[in-house]
Amino acid sequence: MDCPLCKHQPEGLPLAVEVNDVWVSFGETSVLRGVSLRIPVGQLVALIGPNGSGKTTLLRCLLGLQLPDRGATRLLGCASLEAALPRVGYVPQRLALDSSFMLTVREFLCLRLKQTRRWFWMRRAAIDRELRSRLPELGVHLILDRPLSGLSGGQLQRVLIAFSLLGDPELLLLDEPTAGVDSPGEQSFYELIANIHQRRKLTVVLVSHDLSMVVKHASWVYALNGVVCCEGTPEHVMNAESLKEAYGIHVSPYHHHHHGHSHDVPHSAGSAHGLD
Amino acid sequence: MDWINDNLYFARALATALLLAPLCALLGVFVTARRMSFFSDTIAHSALAGVALGFWFGFSEPTVPMVVFSLGVALAILWLKETTALLTDTIMALLLSGSVALALLIRSQMKGFRAQFDAYLFGDIQAVSDGEIALAAVLCALIGGAVFWKLNSLTLLAAHEDLAHVAGVRVYWLNYLFVAVLTVTVSLSIRLLGVMLVTALIIIPTASARNIARSLRQQILLAIGLGVVSAIGGVVLTDRYDLPAGPTIVLTAIGTFLITWICAQMGWTNGRSPASRRSRA
Repeated sequence: MDCPLCKHQPEGLPLAVEVNDVWVSFGETSVLRGVSLRIPVGQLVALIGPNGSGKTTLLRCLLGLQLPDRGATRLLGCASLEAALPRVGYVPQRLALDSSFMLTVREFLCLRLKQTRRWFWMRRAAIDRELRSRLPELGVHLILDRPLSGLSGGQLQRVLIAFSLLGDPELLLLDEPTAGVDSPGEQSFYELIANIHQRRKLTVVLVSHDLSMVVKHASWVYALNGVVCCEGTPEHVMNAESLKEAYGIHVSPYHHHHHGHSHDVPHSAGSAHGLD
Repeated sequence: MDWINDNLYFARALATALLLAPLCALLGVFVTARRMSFFSDTIAHSALAGVALGFWFGFSEPTVPMVVFSLGVALAILWLKETTALLTDTIMALLLSGSVALALLIRSQMKGFRAQFDAYLFGDIQAVSDGEIALAAVLCALIGGAVFWKLNSLTLLAAHEDLAHVAGVRVYWLNYLFVAVLTVTVSLSIRLLGVMLVTALIIIPTASARNIARSLRQQILLAIGLGVVSAIGGVVLTDRYDLPAGPTIVLTAIGTFLITWICAQMGWTNGRSPASRRSRA
């Protein structure tokens, strides 16, 4: 299934993410069928593919949230996941937070920081002193008093990123980060990620179904559809011919579609729902 | 403190209510956040079968069989959820109705103990023994302490399970621990409110607190405070007007809900709740 034109990443670099022949199936449906990939340290990598292509499942395998039927994963060269997790930041798609829970942005951020782990007993001024010195410049300090359940999609994404950056990660994993964000917000969001990647010199792995957006910022792209069907520089993967081979669908590159909150991939035909 | 000797029943009732109501309210903050209200209701009803079995096997105080049976049902819910494709609601409805049916069947066959059995159905705060008060005190200290000790993990778990996992929370064990703690608290609080009303003491104070709280910290403190208010108000009214304790406590709690709801509607919440005043002082 390998794309004949694919170039593999150069060998010999220290690896942030290593996936060796991972297989996952849910009942009758096999979602990952022998996925292998190696992401060197310091890259901004996009993992793209239609719904049901196993992107999110692969991410869940990396984080130990899903056990593969076969194969193994390794993060940051650590022998065990427990050793790697403190050095990993994870930004989930969304929080299914109940509005009956009055957790504020300030309190949520406190949960990630050692200095504020006793937030319940701390004065607000003391908490803010700790937070202010460590918060990345994402505008989050303006909404510290807001309850988490009342934020817009874009605000919540920034809070989730701030939360993961408070842990000073070496590897940042983002799962469909623009799922609840509108189109202009999407653009600035990817710029933000690219910015963080450059300044903090960390490895970023971005799961997305949105081909046209990631292409501007990613240094390497993996196209997934049960297997890694195409990998390479964004220009290579976005090449209509190779993607057509990969997905068996027609793709016009660089054409951005306004699909709002829908999770459908533009132009993809008959993508499977509910597995991703 | 002569009145304690004069009113031993009243003192016992008040002590029990003051121990269990704030504890239920504290757990309630996380129960509602994790949408586990129906779970706690199922546990409460399954405890009834434990009580019935306890009397059937000749226990004069069926506390132990009650707690054991509730824990069994709680574990059964988790196990069925993990190993079958059944919806959680379906699993709980099965176990709730099954337990109540079993309890009523045993009750129909019992020779004595029916009055004692009914005390669990409707709650009988005047019947609590010194042993039960001591048990409630130990429970309150242990569970309350554990919740505050694990506050960050519980909060993260309520916000996002996967995020909690990545942040190093042992999600699997914490889930089981929380269920166990909730089960023990609910089944012992049945003495106070009865099977049918015990969930109210878990849900209502946190719902009232949510009306006026501006943060989780305020919500927790207010829920505990409103739990205490409901307990004192309920027990005092029970004593003065010779009312049944369970319904009186629950209606007092609903009264506090209405007051906080009106406060929220009138906009009297913006940083003016007692908890926030304290944090700003």
